[in-house]
Amino acid sequence: MNFCDWFLRLMAITLAATSLAHAESPTGGSQWPAFDVKGFGTVGIARSDDADAEFVRDLSQPDGLGKHWSGKIDSLLGLQANLTLNARTAAVIQGIARYRYDGSWRPELSWAFLRHDLSPDFTVRLGRMGTEFYMQGDSRMVGYANLAVRPSADYFGPIVVSYFDGIDASLTTDTGNGLLRGKVFAGWAAEKAPFVKPYTWDLRGSRMVGGHLDYFNGPWQLRIGRSQIRFKHQQPLNEAGRQAGFPIDILAAAPELSIVGRHATYDSLGVAYDEGRLQVQGQISHIRYDTSAYEDTASGYLIAAYRIGQTTPYLGYSRTRSSSAKLSTPMPPLIAAGIRDFIDQTHADQATVSLGARWDFMPNMALKAQLDMIRGERDSRFPMRNANRDWDGRMNVFSLALDFIF
Amino acid sequence: MRPVTFSLVMLALLTGSGAQADPVVVVPARPGMDRLSHEEVTNIFMGRLRALPSGAPALPIDQPKDSTLRTSFYQRLVNKDGASINAYWSRLYFSGKATPPLQVVSEAQVIQQLLTRPGAIAYVERSQVDARMRIVFEFPP
Repeated sequence: MNFCDWFLRLMAITLAATSLAHAESPTGGSQWPAFDVKGFGTVGIARSDDADAEFVRDLSQPDGLGKHWSGKIDSLLGLQANLTLNARTAAVIQGIARYRYDGSWRPELSWAFLRHDLSPDFTVRLGRMGTEFYMQGDSRMVGYANLAVRPSADYFGPIVVSYFDGIDASLTTDTGNGLLRGKVFAGWAAEKAPFVKPYTWDLRGSRMVGGHLDYFNGPWQLRIGRSQIRFKHQQPLNEAGRQAGFPIDILAAAPELSIVGRHATYDSLGVAYDEGRLQVQGQISHIRYDTSAYEDTASGYLIAAYRIGQTTPYLGYSRTRSSSAKLSTPMPPLIAAGIRDFIDQTHADQATVSLGARWDFMPNMALKAQLDMIRGERDSRFPMRNANRDWDGRMNVFSLALDFIF
Repeated sequence: MRPVTFSLVMLALLTGSGAQADPVVVVPARPGMDRLSHEEVTNIFMGRLRALPSGAPALPIDQPKDSTLRTSFYQRLVNKDGASINAYWSRLYFSGKATPPLQVVSEAQVIQQLLTRPGAIAYVERSQVDARMRIVFEFPP
């Protein structure tokens, strides 16, 4: 989007100009504008006990863990600048460096928006901001804010977009018996996702719309939401096919695998209970595709934790399962078998039990240790990267992470 | 250690060293402000809805970071320790949704800001309340 480049440039200039103006009048009576820079990060290492498939944090990563300790899936660094222009308006810019779709660690501009409170209960944001397909989706990179080492891979794994360019608006009302908050958003995706190596899939310009309703009462939060994305670009399926020695036009043979103009719809339900030492949260979701490129998927997780002093042990369970993709176009068996091979890569059928502890050993820092026991079917390949023919669907993942904010 | 002494020590450790602090929520003493409920104070200080019952914007002010009054306030408001409150705010801050209450460096500054900023609301030690302030919420004894 050209509009976005233009907008980001404008924001950068505004930020620079205003912070300069601020620096020139350090003693002024007004509190605005106020400028602050904060950051967050994770130094995490993890390994698995199975070389037949690679565990990834989510499918935005092109490859994942083997049997040796690696820092790539969880380590990241984020920096955020907030420029408060007045009591109602703020500009926020955030950049994150992490292991990304192209196998590099090149930093990305994750947030760049203006937030304006039209009234205390009605807020509008314009620019680049976090996607929230699911509850807490826009804080899943902030390890310090979360209980576990990483958000459930069974649940958040298929979500490859973390920001979009557009607008959102939220309205909050006090019912007298809890708060009700509605939020809607619309815009365009601005990222790429890994496909079969070395190919990537361009999601930029794919239209996104969605909304959710939150209910807050004391320690409770309930969330119901729906988001939809309409894909703009084709997946490099034919290129990947040629690379694999399958030199036919797959998209011509099975047009139902085309993704251009097709939709993915994400429905979700979330609940969180956070009272004193006890924290419990769970979510369920259903993803529906009107293309056969992916299989419809149902997922869910539940995690419970109890804080004892500085230590918070937790226990989680997650499950994901996709329905088998359908090929409707008649074709010769040999071609059908080849194409099957491709779409089999998008099948998921596994559950994970996670055990771990978070230790808040000093202010602004937490140390975590976690064991994930993945138990799935042999054909559960989608949540993994590079699963080979010996993959049996079972894997244990060991993780250590140091999360910090500054 | 006798069991009773031990339980008292444990109790003191678990409830935090600021157990003797008595925070009350105050606004500048102007007419037209009623009392707030526990839930309304939670909404304002936890960034869920920053509005006074009149609909005007609320500007919550925090006590300095290491103060026992602050620890005691959040312990009694939402039953959370400092690290949990910190984690809570890092989620809202880094998702660009809300910013924590105004941070100041001394108790004196809390009162100075309270009396000069529009919509200001703060918690102070009960013994600090004077004619310039009005109590809008106190924890049940």
